Amino acid sequence: MRIVCPFCGERELGEFTYLGDAKPRRPAADAGEEAVYDYVYLRDNIAGPMSEHWYHGGGCRAWLKVTRNTLTHEISAVVPAAGAGAAKVDA
Amino acid sequence: MAEFSWDIRSPLDRTLVTGPYGARGEAGLSLTEIRNFDLVQAMARRGKAAEMAAAAKARFGVAAPETPKAVGNADATLIWSGPDQFFVLSKGGRHGIEALASVFAGSASLSDQSHARALISVSGQRVRAMLAKLSSIDLHPDVFAVGSAAATSMDHTSVTLWRGGDRGGQAVFNLLVFSTFAESLWHTILDSAAEYGVTIGHSEELA
Amino acid sequence: MKYSIFSLARAALSGHKNWQRTWRDASPKDRYDVVIIGGGGHGLATAWFLASEFGIRNVAVLEKGWIGSGNAGRNTTIIRSNYGLPGNTGFYELSMKLWERMEQDLNYNSMVSQRGVINLYHSDAQRDAYARRGNTMRINGIDAELLDLAAVRKMMPFLNFDNARFPVQGGLLQRRGGTARHDAVVWGYAHAASALGVDIIQNCEVTGFTRDTNGKVTGVDTSRGRIGAGKVGMAVAGFSSRVAAMAGLRLPIESHVLQAFVSEAIKPLLPNVMTFGAGHFYVSQSDKGGLVFGGDIDGYNSYAQRGNLPVMEDVCEGGMALIPMIGRVRLLRQWGGIMDMSMDGTPIIDKSPVEGLYLNAGWCYGGFKATPGSGLVFAHLIARDEAHKEAARFRLDRFQRGAMIDEKGQGAQPNLH
Ligand SMILES: Cc1cc2nc3c(=O)[nH]c(=O)nc-3n(C[C@H](O)[C@H](O)[C@H](O)COP(=O)(O)OP(=O)(O)OC[C@H]3O[C@@H](n4cnc5c(N)ncnc54)[C@H](O)[C@@H]3O)c2cc1C
Ligand SMILES: [Zn+2]
Repeated sequence: MRIVCPFCGERELGEFTYLGDAKPRRPAADAGEEAVYDYVYLRDNIAGPMSEHWYHGGGCRAWLKVTRNTLTHEISAVVPAAGAGAAKVDA
Repeated sequence: MAEFSWDIRSPLDRTLVTGPYGARGEAGLSLTEIRNFDLVQAMARRGKAAEMAAAAKARFGVAAPETPKAVGNADATLIWSGPDQFFVLSKGGRHGIEALASVFAGSASLSDQSHARALISVSGQRVRAMLAKLSSIDLHPDVFAVGSAAATSMDHTSVTLWRGGDRGGQAVFNLLVFSTFAESLWHTILDSAAEYGVTIGHSEELA
Repeated sequence: MKYSIFSLARAALSGHKNWQRTWRDASPKDRYDVVIIGGGGHGLATAWFLASEFGIRNVAVLEKGWIGSGNAGRNTTIIRSNYGLPGNTGFYELSMKLWERMEQDLNYNSMVSQRGVINLYHSDAQRDAYARRGNTMRINGIDAELLDLAAVRKMMPFLNFDNARFPVQGGLLQRRGGTARHDAVVWGYAHAASALGVDIIQNCEVTGFTRDTNGKVTGVDTSRGRIGAGKVGMAVAGFSSRVAAMAGLRLPIESHVLQAFVSEAIKPLLPNVMTFGAGHFYVSQSDKGGLVFGGDIDGYNSYAQRGNLPVMEDVCEGGMALIPMIGRVRLLRQWGGIMDMSMDGTPIIDKSPVEGLYLNAGWCYGGFKATPGSGLVFAHLIARDEAHKEAARFRLDRFQRGAMIDEKGQGAQPNLH
């Protein structure tokens, strides 16, 4: 697996760290326990294309949003995650 | 109150032994630590990348790199280090953090990295063969020309790598590494270089 | 058939041409009292315990591929009960005791080898943590010994003692730990369960659940047709989220890839199972002589049953740091399996919120050692509708109640467990 960082170009996997599914959103402060439980503990655990967060810590230190097929490891898209590069993406 | 006096020395001070190393005969490469430099990292404030670029242009006469490149004028090199951020490498305080503070006021956050990094310069006939053992980046001249840069890792260690101007017809590669990792990377480089023969030295001159 | 010295002699006299199949490859019937999804170690062990301990023999095990094609046949075969937290300590020791009698119970040679498991420590803090774990084990009646440097040196003189970045200081040894032959465990349970009337049905993928009007599970849809069931238990390891989703459930689980490696065969070298305490590397030597080793999970979600190079590099670096001479040994094979990583690193054995569906999941990279224990407690849960006392803490709702069993103390980030 190699990831094409939108800032650095194609790099080996060892330069990246994985966070996980990019879908869960932190619930509002008053959302209640059920929503927090869902956010912290439950996962779709998708078998197929999944949008996920990776960190290019061994490179430009940008957070990336990678679309990757968990069945084949095929990567179809890589874009900066919100906030990566102060000017480029809306936080 | 006790008076402290700081003894400033290179992070490679204890490790670096000048002279030949590894295979005998004509050295395949030279390994030089550059000491006593000023290094400032500039990172654009939110939404201020264009302003930061304009400030850099006004100060240095060249646009700060927006892609992995190293550019420069006679007395400073600007090296890309990530989206909307770059290093200013210079000597003698002219572009040190104090001098740059007013230049980037409002557009970028600055941090002084002068003593936080070691700067290692490698060149010579076998330099690409040696680096190929440490780096997964394609350093072929067609792809990684003079002025190319990369934020990458060698031996699990984050480095900023860029190709300086050729010296004596040979490619020169510069590496910035965190001071505390410098010894470890230095040993790895020596292991990798030994078979080609190395001339080790240090210098105060920026390549 | 029953295996013994006499059956071996008889077969030898007839030129080994009359061996019967170890177990019966069955076709599905219309209905069973209990259907178990997943023909790995856990599914087969559950079926055997249902039949042998709880008298429920009208049981089918449905396996989408062949039995043992999942993690049961891909793991590095380490068995141990050196856990430190309430819930884990008792459960894994129950399992260890079942390993010690498995071959008699099943009438099958599963090559259980109690050669010892040693966790090496490399710092004072790590020694203290291991001492604490060892004490916890001993208080709970489990064997544990804290070895100093001299004892480790005597046991394994070939480790890198003198020139290491993280010098070995000693180790925590569980002598009753060791290895078992993973395929033989699968075949042994299949053999014994089949003999008690359990149907083992291969190439039979579960594709959905049938439910009555109250939502209770009444059976499964499979690639070999619809099969009715009084109760359904799922023991599908890395596929837990996918099968649970067929019943509308989301689980506190992520699927990750773990790799294993085998070297060419060398003369007997390693006396035990050994783990490096300053990196991700553990190793044992198989009876054929190959070094069987592994390390950390790759760290990203995966259903691909294969991993990537950074972990291979990391594992080899760990190996070289600990046993420099293995640098001369060639790697023969490498593969991956899909780990059901739970949010606290501990399994879930519980009724699901859907009536009639029972969960056995979240084994992470350590479910092989749990195989007999898991079979017993899961059979208990299915048969009696109440948790076995040694599995009472493995509840699905423990995350909601704040009763996590987080042996590593990492929090809800499964790739760090
Ligand atoms: C490389 C590696 C090393 C490991 N090392 C160790 C170790 O040293 N010690 C240890 O204790 N543990 C270890 N483990 C973990 C251990 O192997 C697993 O936790 C354990 O095997 C899981 O239980 P199981 O045997 O029932 O799983 P599996 O063998 O994976 O069984 C699940 C079965 O369910 C089947 N299935 C899935 N979906 C369906 C469906 N829809 N319909 C029908 N069938 C289905 C699968 O085909 C599979 O055969 C390791 C795992 C790996 C991959
Ligand atoms: Zn990058």
